Amino acid sequence: MITDVQNQQKQSSVSSLASESGNAGQGPGDRIPFWGRVSGRRGYQALVDFLFASERRQFALLAGIPFIWVLTQHLGPVLQMLYVSFLDAYPVAVGAQTHLTLKHYLLFFEESVYRMPFLRTMTYSFALTFATLVIVYPVAYFLARHVKRQNQLAFLLLLLIPFWVGEIVRTFAIMILLGNNGAVNLLLKSLGFIDRPIPFMYTGFSVSFGVIYLTSLYMLLPLYSALEKIPASYSEAASDLGAGAWTRFRRVTLPLSYEGVASGCTLVFLMSTGFYAAPVLLGGPSTTVFAETIAGFFHVAGDRWPTGAAFACILFLASLTITALFMKFMGRLSSRGRR
Amino acid sequence: MKPINTSRRKFLGTAAAASTVFAATPYIRTAYADTGEVNIWTYDSFVPESFRKQFEKDTGIKVNIRLVDDQGKQFNLLAAEAPNPTVDIVTVAGHRFLQFIDSELLAPMDSDRLSNWGNLNPIYTESDWATINGHKWGAPILSGAEILAYNTDLVSAEEARSWDVLFSEKYKQQTAYIIQDMMSIVMLYKGYDGNMVEYLDDPEKAAAIVAEARDFLIDKKDLVRKYYDGGAEIQQMFINQDIALGHAWNGPIAKLINDGFPVDMTIPKEGSYGFVYTLNIANNAPNADNAYTFLNALLASSEIGASMTSETGFISTYKDASQHLSDLEKKSTSFTDEELAGLKFFRAEANEMKYSLVDPAVEQIKAA
Repeated sequence: MITDVQNQQKQSSVSSLASESGNAGQGPGDRIPFWGRVSGRRGYQALVDFLFASERRQFALLAGIPFIWVLTQHLGPVLQMLYVSFLDAYPVAVGAQTHLTLKHYLLFFEESVYRMPFLRTMTYSFALTFATLVIVYPVAYFLARHVKRQNQLAFLLLLLIPFWVGEIVRTFAIMILLGNNGAVNLLLKSLGFIDRPIPFMYTGFSVSFGVIYLTSLYMLLPLYSALEKIPASYSEAASDLGAGAWTRFRRVTLPLSYEGVASGCTLVFLMSTGFYAAPVLLGGPSTTVFAETIAGFFHVAGDRWPTGAAFACILFLASLTITALFMKFMGRLSSRGRR
Repeated sequence: MKPINTSRRKFLGTAAAASTVFAATPYIRTAYADTGEVNIWTYDSFVPESFRKQFEKDTGIKVNIRLVDDQGKQFNLLAAEAPNPTVDIVTVAGHRFLQFIDSELLAPMDSDRLSNWGNLNPIYTESDWATINGHKWGAPILSGAEILAYNTDLVSAEEARSWDVLFSEKYKQQTAYIIQDMMSIVMLYKGYDGNMVEYLDDPEKAAAIVAEARDFLIDKKDLVRKYYDGGAEIQQMFINQDIALGHAWNGPIAKLINDGFPVDMTIPKEGSYGFVYTLNIANNAPNADNAYTFLNALLASSEIGASMTSETGFISTYKDASQHLSDLEKKSTSFTDEELAGLKFFRAEANEMKYSLVDPAVEQIKAA
């Protein structure tokens, strides 16, 4: 009771102060604020009238900043890389001149030594995208269809926790897990399954494990989103019509989740083609991927950036082409599924 | 569209602020260059933290360090910024001088401006590689060697006397090496000049030797566990017992020895290569005066040299630095006379020819 009275007194004194200061602010001797002065100027008003004269201009003003951002921050580096890929040398030595050439692109087709890591990358990316889909789909299905709605957020957060740290840290975590002295080998040893550690590290297995671990979230979220939208009544109806569990999944759930499968696979595939740190840290002598080959041209002292840039453009184009074909295929599959 | 009208002031205010920043951008670098700062690209722990703090306190010059882990990457970064780099001091290995000098990336070093220059061992300051075109180009601070490192619990000192052990079936899948460095060592191991200076007039022979070394490493590819790049990686592999032995730089292995890990190193009987790290002033360095002040302070005493050795494991180029090292540190940063007899320093004269052959060979080994 006493506290209420004190609060009321405080509020009344605060409002009286505010009102006093408000009155004082309107006094004749006060200066007009800077922006007030600016907005009062004729030039400003003319500018505003010009900029906001039509909805189209307002839209252009609004879209301008995102457009400039995308152009300079996203497309800019890609275009610069494309330009460098056609130069005969870069970085350009002081006083030297550069010329345009296609020789860096031709090198890729002439030297089989560079095609091998490219093909390996594509093979890895296909296989790992499929493996990630197979591993993550049941998790997403369980989360969307079997976890109570009020618990789904908590489960999602639980799955998201490892992704709060960076890619490199997570890769080192895998090294700790799979090393000769790592948790997996120690566990197998303590259970008496092995006498000597299994060399998991620096093999195709460790790279695959790493890439699947690093990309699983990007598969999970689109799948969860697609599966969560499918009404439970569809499966119930199929069940009433005599469909078994497998038929319900194959004829109802799977076709209706194609959208999520397409998005997840696209994301994971594109990421897998470009992974660098994971193959470098987890891979061995026979797992060199194309990103490592590309990086080699940028690391080795000299003017071979254009070759690296050309190879990066080849990888970029190949990945986009494969993705476009895949999306087209999934689009057809999806429309057939709906029918 | 109404919300646009209501936030007009805010929007224009933000736009004005952004315009100011963009308009000021050309002046930012100049202002930065005029401040009491020195910008350094160097390897991890090459500038001891205690020295850095003391230097900043004494001079008011702020030391900005950007870590590098590879000579090639550093060259490319510097080349991309030339002719107006943001860096004042870079860390170039002595045998890479020529490439940096030819590309006009380094300024000649005026050792007369460094009153403490005499604290460096003349073995390093007066070596033939240290003077090019009549100029000194860097202050040598640390020296290193390509060595054979081995886990003493698993490999005997007798076995480690030859590079043969690195390619033996006994240690299949328990070895690691830096593939580019191994190309030079394999050439030496097979009795050739890994610097390729001898073959400057005979490019065909040079190509044949590189091809032989390449084919040898391809043939032995199934024996190696990992081609690695940096010192931290091989330390990690030894600690995790992923490997029993490997080729390495002496610095990271000396650190493991000093930490009490059962590892030792040797220069095998077939020999190996040594190198010297130098601090160099970049051409058109924005804070060249501060860079000289920094270098002179760094060369001031043998304790600083010893501290650099303790931090990195590499051998100090300072006179009397060993007096300030512990017995274990002395042991981990020294070699026997027999080992040193097989140590040759990397040379730069044939680098252009050598790396035009070695770089594609490395890619071929990786792809094989």
